[in-house]
Amino acid sequence: MVQVPIRAGVGGPVRRRNPEPGRGSNGGNSLKLALKLVAVGVVALIVGVGSALLFVRGAGLGGDVSSGPWQTNLAIGSTEADPYTRARVAVAGLLALNRSETIYFTATRDEAGDVLRSGCIYKVTGTDPPARWWSVTLYGADHYLVANSENRYSYGGATIAREADESFIIAVGPTESEGNWIPTGGQTDATFSLTLRLYNPEPEAVTNPSGIALPTIVKEACPS
Amino acid sequence: MKTWPMWVAGTIALAAMFHILTVFGLPYGIMNRAMAGIVAEAGGVNKPVYPESATAASRGIVRPSPDLLYTACAYDVSERPVKLTSPVPDTYWSLSTFASNTDNFFVVNDRQVKAGRIEIILAASENDATEEGIPVIVTPSRKGIVLFRSLVPSEDVRAEIDAMRRQSNCKPL
Repeated sequence: MVQVPIRAGVGGPVRRRNPEPGRGSNGGNSLKLALKLVAVGVVALIVGVGSALLFVRGAGLGGDVSSGPWQTNLAIGSTEADPYTRARVAVAGLLALNRSETIYFTATRDEAGDVLRSGCIYKVTGTDPPARWWSVTLYGADHYLVANSENRYSYGGATIAREADESFIIAVGPTESEGNWIPTGGQTDATFSLTLRLYNPEPEAVTNPSGIALPTIVKEACPS
Repeated sequence: MKTWPMWVAGTIALAAMFHILTVFGLPYGIMNRAMAGIVAEAGGVNKPVYPESATAASRGIVRPSPDLLYTACAYDVSERPVKLTSPVPDTYWSLSTFASNTDNFFVVNDRQVKAGRIEIILAASENDATEEGIPVIVTPSRKGIVLFRSLVPSEDVRAEIDAMRRQSNCKPL
């Protein structure tokens, strides 16, 4: 005797136990289709949003102009900025001014191309860049100021100690150093970045930002 | 007929759409969050906040300059224009305005202001009734952020600069 598979309920009318040909497989197909559509939606959401965030967050402010380890994006703050630049600025430099007012150079690497790390000691050496006022500020990987015992996060053109020839040297590292010192916050493997701000830059800096002399960033040692 | 190529193509097309929506939407989302933070601190739109200098504890805006005193307000010109007023110091100072998509659509600094004081009106349209003789800036978006930057070049002038920037104001007409 051939047993008829019971699909709906137990003890119901015989008619209901025998679905019409194809009816059950149609239901299964609909469920499969729905699951496929959900899967497509979820995968597309993860890939689409994830790739956008990686692209936007991974690049910092992005840089279409480089000078040594320093990079700047001339479209920052501009109404002509492309959607990617806008998104990068929103993530890593919200409320930044346009370049005629301020040029923001950011360095995430040293002169040798190595990523800046909190456990290492760096020497930042230079002369006043062509601007009314400038500053060098250290930020953690989260784009915020880094806690340190000195509560010091930056040096500006008006307060920095200078050498006899008017040049300046800033030590950047985890341990106290004589002269200008920006603490990195501790001997950790964390990454950091430096931002050089040029307020009211001279016309030469606005028209040719890659052609102006900017400070060098040289790694001295990595004690940790 | 094999249908998987269609599914792969559909997934890629949908992912591209989500990618574009995210890139376009992110600036608006982040600006909205920043505006909400300013509104919460100020007690409403078109009201200024006078935060202290940025420290490692500051989490309002990314990459703040610790050498500046920022004064901010979230503007909303939907109902009426907003008047911005501020004394202007001798050291670096600027007034900048940002649209809801992060664009810096207007900026003026202390060197460009002659009288030691500035008055500017933000309006949604050139046709909005404003005050005679005061420059009007038409905003590309009805909501956005106004930011006054005051440089503190050294600690001995901090109190003076701070007192001055606390007179900066945003007020609906």
